[in-house]
Amino acid sequence: MENIAGPDFIKALAFLAAGIAMGFGAIGPGIGEGFVGGKACEAIGKRPDEANLITKTMIIGQAISETTGIYALVVALILIFVV
Amino acid sequence: MEFVAVASVLGAGIAIGLGAIGSAVGEGYIAMKAVEALGRQPNAGGKILRTMIIGQAITETAAIFALVMALVLLFGNNEGAEVAKGYALIAAGITIGCGTVGSGFGAGLPGGSTMEGIGRNPENSDTLTVQMVIGQAVTQTSTIFALTVSLILATLTPENTVVKIFAILGAGFAMGLGAVGPGIGDGFVAKNANTAVGRRPEQMGLLTRTMIIGQAVTETTDIYSLVVALILIFVV
Repeated sequence: MENIAGPDFIKALAFLAAGIAMGFGAIGPGIGEGFVGGKACEAIGKRPDEANLITKTMIIGQAISETTGIYALVVALILIFVV
Repeated sequence: MEFVAVASVLGAGIAIGLGAIGSAVGEGYIAMKAVEALGRQPNAGGKILRTMIIGQAITETAAIFALVMALVLLFGNNEGAEVAKGYALIAAGITIGCGTVGSGFGAGLPGGSTMEGIGRNPENSDTLTVQMVIGQAVTQTSTIFALTVSLILATLTPENTVVKIFAILGAGFAMGLGAVGPGIGDGFVAKNANTAVGRRPEQMGLLTRTMIIGQAVTETTDIYSLVVALILIFVV
């Protein structure tokens, strides 16, 4: 507990930072993908014949919303294993 | 009082203090929509009350998980544990406290749109209740992830180094905050799916399928958080 200095300290803070990065990073994509999914369900409710097209578009939209979550994951993994 | 005992009390406070936010807002939202529906269809009072109670009971799940974790943290046996154990208990409180906010609020959203649907046409109340329960159940996924990580943290005996202590706090933040977004997002998907089922109950199968696909994709960031939290707990 006493040696709070040097490389150990950097390592420790990098782990904490990884947790914070992934934690906050997951909030936005989660809400955003929820909006996409919700509106897709609404659209299918109005035009059930176009369900395939709407589902396809929904998944593409959600995949793009996901990208910032993947950035957060990459940053977290770099902080854990590389720093 | 030694540090670990203080930390367990602090962890319990964080767990139930933050954990009560989401469910309370969600249940209030359902009740608000139920009162609105009652204003439109005063004769359907029985159906509205029944569905409201079911919806609120499921929305309560997140807060109950937080309560359970608070009790585990309060009454756990930490005799002679080292300082690192105290930080693990605080991290457990952060995980379940933050982690239940999203699911609690999210589970309220489909409940509200179900009430709207019943207010529009009380005949659909059975179909809508089934759809609501499915949507709310999937919305609880992120809370269940948070509960799992929280239980691991509460029972963990970490090695007593600064690096491990920070890694454990990091795991708590990753899973706790990471569960907020997907919980709310799942709720939005279920809300609009229920609105659509309320308008066209005959399309329920198609809408349930789309809702579950949408919710599953929304959960991915939650799974990333879980993976990062588990790496921080067990690998580093």
